[in-house]
Amino acid sequence: MTRIVVTGLGVVSPYGAGAKTFWAGLAAGACAIRPITLIETDGFRSRIAAEVPAETVAALGVSPRRARADRLALAAAQEALADADLTPRDRAGAALVVGAVGGGMLEGEEWYWEETRTGRPSPRIKALRSILPFTHADTLGWRLRLGGPKETVVMACASGAAAIALGADLIRAGVVPVAVVGGVDALTRICFMGFNALKLLDPDPCRPFDRRRRGMSIGEAAAFLVLEDAAGSQARGARVHGELLGAGMTTDAHHVTSPHPEGEGMVRAMEMALGRAGVSAAEVDYVNAHGTGTLQNDRIEALALRRVFGEGGVLVSSSKSLVGHTMAAAGSLEAVATLLAIQHGLVPPTANLDETDPEIPFDCVPRLARPAPVECAVSNSFGFGGQNVSLVLRRFAG
Amino acid sequence: MSPPRRVVVTGIGTVNAATAGGARALAAALAAGASAIAPIRSFDVGGCPSRLAAEVDEAVLAGLIDRDAARRLSRICRLAVAASRRALDDGRLDPGGAEGAGRALGIVIGTEHGDFRSSEEFAAGFLRRGVAGLSPMIFPNTVMNAMGAHAAIALGARGPTVTVNQPTIAGDLAVARGAALVAGGQAEAVVAGGVDELCAPVYRRLAELRALSPMGRPTPEGCRPFAPDHNGPVLGEGATFVLLEERSAALARGATIHAEILAARWSNVPVAPHTAPRARRDPGSLVARLLGEASVPPGAVGAWYGSGNGDPGVDDWELSLLAADLAAAGHAGPAEAPRSLAPMFGQHGGLGALRVSAAALGVAAAGGAALVHGIARGGCRTAILLGRAA
Amino acid sequence: MTQKEVLDELKGIVVERLRFDPRRAAEMTLETTLPKGVEGSLGLDSLDFIELSVAIEERFGLVIDEGEDLSAEFHSLDSLSRFILTKTGQA
Repeated sequence: MTRIVVTGLGVVSPYGAGAKTFWAGLAAGACAIRPITLIETDGFRSRIAAEVPAETVAALGVSPRRARADRLALAAAQEALADADLTPRDRAGAALVVGAVGGGMLEGEEWYWEETRTGRPSPRIKALRSILPFTHADTLGWRLRLGGPKETVVMACASGAAAIALGADLIRAGVVPVAVVGGVDALTRICFMGFNALKLLDPDPCRPFDRRRRGMSIGEAAAFLVLEDAAGSQARGARVHGELLGAGMTTDAHHVTSPHPEGEGMVRAMEMALGRAGVSAAEVDYVNAHGTGTLQNDRIEALALRRVFGEGGVLVSSSKSLVGHTMAAAGSLEAVATLLAIQHGLVPPTANLDETDPEIPFDCVPRLARPAPVECAVSNSFGFGGQNVSLVLRRFAG
Repeated sequence: MSPPRRVVVTGIGTVNAATAGGARALAAALAAGASAIAPIRSFDVGGCPSRLAAEVDEAVLAGLIDRDAARRLSRICRLAVAASRRALDDGRLDPGGAEGAGRALGIVIGTEHGDFRSSEEFAAGFLRRGVAGLSPMIFPNTVMNAMGAHAAIALGARGPTVTVNQPTIAGDLAVARGAALVAGGQAEAVVAGGVDELCAPVYRRLAELRALSPMGRPTPEGCRPFAPDHNGPVLGEGATFVLLEERSAALARGATIHAEILAARWSNVPVAPHTAPRARRDPGSLVARLLGEASVPPGAVGAWYGSGNGDPGVDDWELSLLAADLAAAGHAGPAEAPRSLAPMFGQHGGLGALRVSAAALGVAAAGGAALVHGIARGGCRTAILLGRAA
Repeated sequence: MTQKEVLDELKGIVVERLRFDPRRAAEMTLETTLPKGVEGSLGLDSLDFIELSVAIEERFGLVIDEGEDLSAEFHSLDSLSRFILTKTGQA
């Protein structure tokens, strides 16, 4: 049976550029959620986010004429490919699956705002050419010379994780030996305003699993992984970050914004992933939760985790407490965090967690990263609209 | 190792400018061959360089979905829900029956523009009335996967729900990915297809940017794929889905099997975004490889469908790619250009699924094999091979 | 404002913001119940209630504390209109 390993990582996060910088921030438990600088926030209840620092974006080495999200994606994907040390021939046969939601909407909004406010056509109209989510895949496919199957998946908050699962499927089916997979989202007005309008944002940095949690914090990032058939990777002596044992993708089919009240779809996604991985719940050391910090998500996710792992059966933490909810990037960014946790034997903490909600019967690793042997871990992404993805990752022993 | 899973087409559901219904309605429309492209009625195109489109009849759409039950569904969501539900009904598959069935039913929706109307409405609320003008109810529809979420609720589909975003060949890509989900065991059945709707500001911008027929050329506006005087695509709207199932399960339940998907692949020809360089070859020879893997010689393909839609870039590149693939397979090439359904239904995300449906219906009626090819500006390429279900 | 006037405003909101059919709204009375799960109600769910709260805040110029449990107040058009009158100091 085909085994899938990860041979490359690439990240641009609110901590800065690079997977190493990302890990340093997570390990330090540093909260990157701050007052927003990219867009106007007057009149809104929540005015903070985890933005990629301006210096980071300026130093990415990608033309500033490109949409912000394109720049983040290109930089992260380039890092992942360099890390994997793939030849041009490998790239020519590599699949590309990109999880995206906002696309170039930030720049599109600038055009729309200007035209609406001035009543005159704006030269920013050029932004419309890269407004749609597929734009990133077309840019990456071209610049990185990737010739295998190319696909853009939109699955809200689970897009990045779905990209990983769908790319892995292509390798398992024997279609390609290598897949470049991941997600990206830049901050947009529509995302900021929309989650504010739904009253799902905490005016202060989010505090997942905390008794006094009041909502999410948004963020932006790009995270890409190179997935490879294990046998092929070993034949070329690639360095392996870890193994993707299995993935589960399910739909609640319950409500367009609220999760199923008993976490039914979440449970099935985890059970499906574990089943495909051939791993029992007892073997899992750590769950990197979806953990948005909303009253509802955390409560229902905890319910689902209890059904699968039993009370206290596993360490749980939310990376969204540190780098915000990075939307389409979240699923792949948090998969990277999970792999790095396995590699380093260190569980990133849940920031801002003072008192765990008594309804959440888990050690949620409050505020300080926890040294712990992590052989096998699960990463969850439960998207808006009840679209769930669960990934099982493990140290690769060969 | 278990035998590879085979994928068959057991249902069709469509809401488009020419017709709405299942396999029979579509077959009748295809046989009649009438074009649904006409001067736009639903919004003002005064001063616009393009004025044609294939519009869905509002009365038809209203008749397909109960208004109050669907009050929160944006128009494009209604199109997607109506057509996907019809595909399921057409295939007589009831996911509500066995508890397990719903869990194993997936959805793959392809779209180019998604729900732009909702995004605009949401933003306009803010620009007109500030923070108080934001509608929490509209916001969820601005994320492209909302259509899939609504369709999943309507169908009781609890397997994977995937939305793919792709210009020109969104429907083809969705069907190919849907077939892969069934073949790979991620789902036992998948409703796969595409949707797009006409949206006045998008139409006007595209026309002004010369992306639509007549593209600033002196020849008349119209959809003439592969013709010497082709001068751009004409937009349409609608949703079309096929029901794909694992073959032995379909046989066991006595489903009507229109055709088998013998192979479905997609790839990328690395070119600059938005371009369609006719001289650029596909180093992977997608179609040649597909036919080789399926052991179907090019001469055995009785029907060829293509994504050429009157956009000269797409038309020309498609012809040259297909010719190169067939030469590689030692074949002289098809006698004519591949069949385009764009003149009938207009360019929109559902068109690829209409092509697959037409190919399946053709194979069901006349046997043989059919190949549905797709290429888009930016290099995304698809190939779906259908044959009689043995 | 009278309760009837508030009721008429609420009917307008139910059409414009919650997208109910105007003919159905015309038939609504103070007795009309709102939440899903109540027989004969309009079947409003959590997303509808958020939209309704935002619309009421804008239309009547008041602030609704989302921390409060207002399920009783949002039970019917009668209880809701009384709540609005109280909040705007007119009841």
